[in-house]
Formats: sequence, C-alpha cells, structure tokens
Amino acid sequence: LDVAKKSSANKAVVEARRRLLQEWLAYRQRVQEDLEEEREALGLTAVSEERAALEVADDGETRVVE
Amino acid sequence: MRPILLSGHERALTQVKFSKEGDLIFSVSKDHIVCAWYSANGERFGAYKGHQGALWTVDVDPTTTLLATGGADNTMRLWEVRTGKLLKTWDYATSVKRVEFSEDGRQLLAVTEKRTGQLSTVYIYDISPDPSEPAPSEHALRIVVDEQPRVTVAGFSYLNHFIIMGHEDGSVSQWDAKSGEHIKDNYSHEDGMQVSDLQWSADRTYFLTASKDKTAKLHDTATLEVLKTYTADTPLNSAAICPDPQQYVILGGGQAAMDVTTTSQRQGKFEARFYHKVFEEEIGRVRGHFGPLNSVAVDPTGKCYCSGGEDGYVRVHHFDPPYFDFQFEVEREARAESRI
Repeated sequence: LDVAKKSSANKAVVEARRRLLQEWLAYRQRVQEDLEEEREALGLTAVSEERAALEVADDGETRVVE
Repeated sequence: MRPILLSGHERALTQVKFSKEGDLIFSVSKDHIVCAWYSANGERFGAYKGHQGALWTVDVDPTTTLLATGGADNTMRLWEVRTGKLLKTWDYATSVKRVEFSEDGRQLLAVTEKRTGQLSTVYIYDISPDPSEPAPSEHALRIVVDEQPRVTVAGFSYLNHFIIMGHEDGSVSQWDAKSGEHIKDNYSHEDGMQVSDLQWSADRTYFLTASKDKTAKLHDTATLEVLKTYTADTPLNSAAICPDPQQYVILGGGQAAMDVTTTSQRQGKFEARFYHKVFEEEIGRVRGHFGPLNSVAVDPTGKCYCSGGEDGYVRVHHFDPPYFDFQFEVEREARAESRI
C-alpha cells in the first residue's frame, strides 16, 4: 500500500513538472516570436547587440568544459 | 566545481559583472578600485583607478569597449576597457547606486541615491560606442522619482522600451524609456523588504529580482507579472539567470554576523544557491565565502559563474560536465521531442 502511495505521489510530481515545463516553453515561444516580429518591423537584426556579441564568440567553437 | 579565487580587493565586493563574451569579469568594491580579470584563469587584466570613495556598481557595453562605474564619491565614470583611460566623469548631488548599459550599448543610465533634500533620480545618456567620440555631459532623459519609494536598482528592457526599477519597499515599477512616464507597479516582494538586485534574461524579456524578503522572483518585462518565485532561508543580495539551454537561477545572500543573534543561524548561509528556473526547486549549493554574497553573475556563454563577497573575495566557479548533463525526467522527454 505504501509503495502504491509513494509511486502515485511521484507520478503527481512528475505530472506537475511536465505541466510547468510545457507552460514555460509555450510562454517563451510566444514572447520570442513577438520580440522577433517587433525587431523585424523596426528593421533591426534578429538579435540584440549584446546577444550578437555572444554568438560571434561562440562561432566555430564547441562548448568545452574542463 | 573548480573554484578560482580572485584576491586583489581589500574590502567588500559590491558588484561583479561579466563581459558579454564571458572572457572578462569586472568587479567593484568598497576599496575604491575597479578590477578586470580573465574569467578562464583568474589573472588580473587591469585596474581602473580614480574614484574617491566606495564603489557600488559597474557595467560594460556589448562590445567590451566601454566600462561604466558609480559610487559614493557622487560620480559615474566612463572608461575605455582596453586602455584604462578615463573618458568621462559625471557629478551628482548624491552617490550613484546603479549604472547599466542598454542592450544596444547606446544608452547608459545612472541611479542616484535618495537623501535629505534629494529624490531618487535616474539619468539616461546617449552614448556612442566609439570611445574617441566624447560622451555627452547632458542627459537625454531624467526621471525624478518622487511618488515611489527610494530606487535601489534599475535597467533598460528589450528594445529600450522601458526602464524597470526596483524599490526599497520591495516593489518594481515600469517607466517609458522615451518619455520618462510612469506606467505601472507591481508589489511583488514583501512590503518594506528592498529589491537588492535586478538581472535580465539574455533577450531582456524577463528579469529576476532578489530581495531582503529571502525570495527571488522572475518577472515578465512587459506585464511585470511574477512568473516564478524562488524561496531561500536568508536575505538575498543578488540573483542571476543562467543562459539557455541551462534552466537555472543562482541566488546569493546571507546576513552579516552583526545582524545574526545566534551562531547556529550562520551555518550554511554564505552559499550560492542553485534553483531550477522552471520548477522553482533548489538543486544545490556552492560554499566558499566567509561572509554574505553581495553579488552573483553568470558568464553569458554559460561556462562559469562568479560571486563577490563581503569577505573581499571574488570566487569564479567553472561548471563541471555533470552540471550540463543534469536534467529532470520531464526535461529529457521534452528534449527527445526536440522542444528545447
């Protein structure tokens, strides 16, 4: 009985996390699309200068972790 | 996580900041000196000397050309990163609590302290990314904050639409960055518990506030709605968002010994705390400092983070592979479905 209780509690936690992650990803997708549209309408590059700085630095370099 | 200790400051750190490429760390302290360090090995890149008082704040532009600092000598200063040359000094009636560049690097703001006879004021300047062009003495916009409580932190939103401010009473407010008009407030933190830090997501569409109420809160920039709350057990001084695809936030705080009544309460408070950004659950802690963490920052490339302590040290931690590998079951599922 305890095992059954525990496994259903675990299942509830996993379900809750799954829902939170889906909500978050949906939220981010919406915001990112809005921002991209707005930048395009303003005639700006897809990403801001500070994000561009990062992407240039990462070009041709795979993430190396020591 | 392999720590590197940056020792060079003689007094408490007040803010630490990475360059946008992640290769340099800038640190300011109550010892009047601005330091720059290589994040990879902790060697000192240089020092920027000239301030006549404790420093409170530092920021660097997107191309790591210009550095802005502010402090208790009532000035904001602009420096050339590479040469250390002082390009400009702005004088105010009170100390400068916060400086920040906009995401395009073309605007710079300074928050000046509220004192008897002086209201909290946010000054905004138009800045040329070319250091050979003189910076303007006159502000492009000035927001005098008289109806809201003291401003503790402020920054520019995505596309420079808004100025977002954090206040002494725990509220956040949104202002039109062109007209200076007040738009809205959210009383997101406990009343009277100041907002101690405000840091942006990479695209500045959401931000994280840290507060003395022992929580950090993720806010949507446009609506000011609270998206997530991370609850700690100590007053927070700083909170940072790890860049995607990492889904973590890092919180730093702790109470100074003189503010703590029993020694047992001090145990384990001087740690950087990692929380899952989406699930709001604590993942782990990193210890090392001997005093409260006054400022935490994450490398924009996600390779490491650093913390500046009341103990006078900056600690840089490079992330180990397990840090990148760790995922919740539901995240692995989502990745398998290639959603993240």
